[in-house]
Amino acid sequence: MISADLNIILTEIVLALFAMGALVGVVYTGKDRLAPALTWFTAVLFVLLAVWIGVNGSGARVAFGGMFHDDGFARFAKVVILLSAAAVLVMGQDYMSRRGLLRFEYPVLVTLAVTGMMVMVSAGDLMALYMGLELQSLALYVVAAMRRDSVKSTEAGLKYFVLGALSSGLLLYGASLVYGFAGTTLFSGIIEAVGSGQISIGLLFGLAFVVAGLAFKVSAVPFHMWTPDVYEGAPTPITAFFATAPKVAAIALLARVLHDAFGGVVGDWQQILALLSVLSMFLGAIAAIGQRNIKRLMAYSSIAHMGYALMGLAAGTAFGVQAMLIYMAIYVTMNVGTFAFILSMEKDGQPVVSISALNMYSKRDPGRALAMLILLFSLAGVPPLVGFFGKFYVLRAAYDAGLIWLAVAGVIASVIGAFYYLRIVYYMYFGEEGEALDRNRSAVLWTLLMGSAAAMLVGVVNLFGIESVAQAAAATLVN
Amino acid sequence: MSDGASLLPIIAILPFLGALVPGLMIRAGRTACATFTAIPTILALTMLIVLAPSVMRGEVLQAEIAWLPQLGLSAAFFLDGLGLLFAGMILGVGLLITLYARFYLSGEDPMGQFYTYLLLFQGAMLGIVLSDNILLLLIFWELTSLSSFLLIGYWKHLPEGRQGARMALAVTGGGGLAMIGGMLILGHIVGSYNLTDILTQGEAIRASEWYLPALILILLGAFTKSAQFPFHFWLPHAMAAPTPVSAYLHSATMVKAGVFLMARMWPALAGTEAWFYIVTTTGLITMVLGALIALFKDDLKALLAFSTVSHLGLLTMLLGMGTKLAAVVAVFHIINHLTFKAALFMTAGIIDHETHTRDIKRLGGLRHLMPVTFVIGTVGALSMAGIPLFNGFLSKEMMLEEAAHTVWAGSVWAVPVLATLGALLSVAYSLRFIAHVFLGPVRDDYPAKPHDPPFGMWAAPALLVAMVVVIGVLPAAVVGPLVAVAGGAVIGGGEMPYYSLKIWHGVTPALYMSGIAVAGGLLLLALHRVLDRIWLAVPRPEAKVIFDALVSWVAALSRRITESAHNGAVSRYLAILTVATVALGYVAWRGSGLSAPTRAPLPVPPVVAVGWVLLIVATISVVTMHRSRFRALVLIGVIGLMISAGFVYLSAPDLALTQISVETVTIMLLLLALHFLPKTTPRESGAGLRLRDAAIAVAAGGAVAGLAYAFMLRDTSSISDYHLANSYEGGGGTNVVNVILVDFRGYDTYGEIIVLGIAGLIIFALVETLLTGPAARRLRNADLSRNISRDRHPLMMVVATRVMMPIAVMVGVYIFLRGHNQPGGGFVAGLVISIALLMQYMASGFAWTQARKRIEYHAMIGWGVVIAGLTGAAAWLAGAPFLTSAFGYIHLPPIEEFELASAMAFDLGVFLTVLGAVMLMLFSLSRLARHAGESVNIEPMDYDPSKRVETAEGGDR
Repeated sequence: MISADLNIILTEIVLALFAMGALVGVVYTGKDRLAPALTWFTAVLFVLLAVWIGVNGSGARVAFGGMFHDDGFARFAKVVILLSAAAVLVMGQDYMSRRGLLRFEYPVLVTLAVTGMMVMVSAGDLMALYMGLELQSLALYVVAAMRRDSVKSTEAGLKYFVLGALSSGLLLYGASLVYGFAGTTLFSGIIEAVGSGQISIGLLFGLAFVVAGLAFKVSAVPFHMWTPDVYEGAPTPITAFFATAPKVAAIALLARVLHDAFGGVVGDWQQILALLSVLSMFLGAIAAIGQRNIKRLMAYSSIAHMGYALMGLAAGTAFGVQAMLIYMAIYVTMNVGTFAFILSMEKDGQPVVSISALNMYSKRDPGRALAMLILLFSLAGVPPLVGFFGKFYVLRAAYDAGLIWLAVAGVIASVIGAFYYLRIVYYMYFGEEGEALDRNRSAVLWTLLMGSAAAMLVGVVNLFGIESVAQAAAATLVN
Repeated sequence: MSDGASLLPIIAILPFLGALVPGLMIRAGRTACATFTAIPTILALTMLIVLAPSVMRGEVLQAEIAWLPQLGLSAAFFLDGLGLLFAGMILGVGLLITLYARFYLSGEDPMGQFYTYLLLFQGAMLGIVLSDNILLLLIFWELTSLSSFLLIGYWKHLPEGRQGARMALAVTGGGGLAMIGGMLILGHIVGSYNLTDILTQGEAIRASEWYLPALILILLGAFTKSAQFPFHFWLPHAMAAPTPVSAYLHSATMVKAGVFLMARMWPALAGTEAWFYIVTTTGLITMVLGALIALFKDDLKALLAFSTVSHLGLLTMLLGMGTKLAAVVAVFHIINHLTFKAALFMTAGIIDHETHTRDIKRLGGLRHLMPVTFVIGTVGALSMAGIPLFNGFLSKEMMLEEAAHTVWAGSVWAVPVLATLGALLSVAYSLRFIAHVFLGPVRDDYPAKPHDPPFGMWAAPALLVAMVVVIGVLPAAVVGPLVAVAGGAVIGGGEMPYYSLKIWHGVTPALYMSGIAVAGGLLLLALHRVLDRIWLAVPRPEAKVIFDALVSWVAALSRRITESAHNGAVSRYLAILTVATVALGYVAWRGSGLSAPTRAPLPVPPVVAVGWVLLIVATISVVTMHRSRFRALVLIGVIGLMISAGFVYLSAPDLALTQISVETVTIMLLLLALHFLPKTTPRESGAGLRLRDAAIAVAAGGAVAGLAYAFMLRDTSSISDYHLANSYEGGGGTNVVNVILVDFRGYDTYGEIIVLGIAGLIIFALVETLLTGPAARRLRNADLSRNISRDRHPLMMVVATRVMMPIAVMVGVYIFLRGHNQPGGGFVAGLVISIALLMQYMASGFAWTQARKRIEYHAMIGWGVVIAGLTGAAAWLAGAPFLTSAFGYIHLPPIEEFELASAMAFDLGVFLTVLGAVMLMLFSLSRLARHAGESVNIEPMDYDPSKRVETAEGGDR
């Protein structure tokens, strides 16, 4: 029995052992000299595991008496998490190496965070949920403050930690209420205890605080305050990481808790999520307009995007979950490309984050400018690019679930949001002549940027078939 | 799908495939490039002509290819009269523009790029008019915004092009996004995203409660695209584009997309009051406003741009009237406007190309220098003015006739008067175009010597004006069938209204209105110089300025939001977080039907009340005095003590025991740690802010207290019952808390001790780095030991702790052994022994004691974890899951009967880890102290306070 259980969490075990082995191994050998190699190796391992999960996984299995689920939903999220983490690792390597930021702990911490995320999306129990969440968060707290010689970075890390600890406390408070009133921490037990009629007040409070705690992790308004500071303060590769894999994990976890444990009382959380969603979309869109720093802008952009993903969840249907999954997969792809571009923004070897530095960029590097144009249009959700399909899925999910006002609000927010993406395009194509950025020659960044942009175009054909995969994944969660 | 219909997707895809051609062919030369660019267009046009006869017979061709069926998206195309009309226009004018651009673009312009963008745009436009699926339509719709952006920005070096491109993109792109919402609602009402279905469901759509939002969102898309008031301002600014682009996008095709959409949706949406008032009013305002501005524009292209705005307003107004006849007139005017306006734009382009200026004030007299251009331009302008014999006259006449019958909000005069005014202004600017450009004396100060362009350049406009005349003279014969079939498509089948396309309708109201318009227009032209001066003198709202102001206002608002909410202060963030959580709790509270209390509150004896008051007072004092850290620490001790007392009172001795030992240890460690930090903290926030924070804190605290109180007054089934029932049977213990810790939730405890051990190690590691880095220098210079007492290690205390040591250890062992059934357990035992050891260290000084112990704390933590882990793993040997406990009883005669559970070995692990971790923390802190200059005593105690203490510097660091 135990071997069967261990078999199910094999990928997590491999990752955890790898992290520990790498940590010990590198400490006693080359230390930071080995960091680039270790980074690449970690990325390759992520990709291999993603392929393995994607190819081998089938059916739904449960380990440790229901604490851990291996089903289509978890696998979908895991593949997205692993691939995006691999991409982010690879693209940040050169940037960090040249600035002496690439310590060997970085890939190890990312591996640990990814392990935590994989536990999160597979959690079938409040304990597993919390364990995965904290494993992820602890690694992220450290990663956020990786740059110890920068006041901004350490301050951002500390803020993230203080607020994160508070939100973890909230989550725990909620979880203990749920446990106290449901009598079990297993999701399958909770959903029975909750029933489908009037939810008891203890469970309702538990639900509310669990949602609040998780909303912090997905940086949904009003639990989002850390996002701009951390995005701005952390080194860009780490910002890119923050913008991708953890977001997927957190929202997948939220979906799991809501459907696996509270699927019987959709009405009780639908309004909360709808509110979080609409606040996130609008705040993200409006606040981004005034930003001059592209990293802060991306922070607000990610807040707005999470608002849309939450809209899919707020629908409370299988289609909503499917829409959310598709949205997240698309969002991550776009962000990888965008951050690959931001990483290549340099002047005299120093990173540049000011949007005005992009003035007339199209003249100097038409290829990259065009790729970025496509990505920005896609981020704005302009048809026919893939970003539009993501938005349309969630809008439709919300609409079909009767949240018409939410869908209409989402459309209005997307109009506002389009403005600031287009502003960057405007700078790139029509800005005034300014000082030129360096020509970046990194093949990795170029490949990721172009690949991501090409995916936004080519994906229009059939979204690379993720539609049916996401549908199957959502079906395992909602029934 | 009929055979012909299968051509539809091919027609739609051809321009996109063709977009690849110019890039490949540009090396072959400019003419070859243009020729090959024309081929896909010609092919598509040929196919369209092949399909035309069946459409003219009234058939609707449909073709569908599945795409993303779940989303409701399919590559569905259909061709009816309206589609045929527009597709023909797009391809036909596209062909002419290709020809024209070949001669217009100069040698330095990258022509391949231009043709690629042009074909992309053409494909997008064609997609809009052929789409059967509204999502597909939406995709093509935004694709036109995108490709037009590339076309407008083609001449990047022109500064005025920049702002124009941005506004065009922001306005039309945003409108398109808004349309997504409208389409979504529409699709939901009908249950299908196929236009052919939607158009038959007009009744249901208009009856739906979501009709108005859908209408507004869709109209937003249409109005922004077709530059309707108040979105009209972007179009003239987009005129920085090369003239072929202006002619194609801004007269013939893109701006008509909005009109097309309104015509397309006419059967589904039109006919309600909301439609009438929104669409007609907007159209009317746009028509008059556009014409008025056009009259005073000196830039040829700006004049034409505003005239386009005005004509689009005219079309919008006609569609808004909601009558079938008006819709047919709109279709007719679309054809007419296309012919004369495209010709005029090309004429403007020729003039610009030859004279190097578009400023009307610098032109005049070109009649003699450019006779061919003069003829073309004059015919086009006369048609635009609505002069008989040209096609503009016919549709304008019919429009006025319709306007004359329209009642607006009870007023029979509003629409006819304004329509006449629009027509009047239109005559004025059209004639001005002729008079101020071509007529008048020849000047000698043209920027370049003007002459007629080569044939290739004027061929396209010439063809168009030829059509103007032919349609103007023989309307029924030339375009009659097309108008009939397209008009029929707009009104969605049913009976066609009566109309006749001919020049002379007899003496009708429209004729009077036309007469007034022409006369008034001539008058205005005569007075133009005077009026122009007035126009320039009168302040008027400039749309671009308003747009810019709006943008900067929004940006300022955005900055205000970010600055107030994200000012970087953690206190602000925490406040927001707390308020949000309290609000969330309030929502949950409201949402749950809370029943009446089912339990009576317990009585409150005086002692308990005193304890409660102490607790509250201490808590409030901590908050008010937290700036003085030691005082705050003492108060925290009081709080901990009260809580322990509370546990005792509520019959939870085990918790009380744990609480009090943890309290002691943490307070001691905190005391030691605070030694190195500033003794006070500065006051950072003002009174108002503190008041706000206090209010938030009280609200949050009160909410939590209220919640707890509410739960305690109600009988709820909770987990406690289960534990009480199963503690003895399942875990072999009567001390429920302990059984929970080591048995029911063994995993947690196991995890906790690991965390505790790691915490100890981390403190050690952190101190290690502190002692080596730059912090170490600061530490050495910090004079922390100024007020050292002469008897740091008093005699009495040392002796007392020595005596107490064995007793404390015995208590620890006792507590450990009885833990499973009575209050106690490994955790508490570990803490008790830690305290006993701690006291030794305090009594004689750490270094002194350290030298006399032989236990390795690191190893102790490790062993503790290993023992606990092995105990858990031993369960596997018995075939049970990890950490399953087994228990039995052994009888030791002199003492009493013991129960020996496997959990006890686990408890031992807990004990060791706790002890090791606490001692390691202590060790780390004392290292820090010695590094900061604290001395080490040689004697175990200070027995003579008068004597100077003998110390060694530092000791083992």
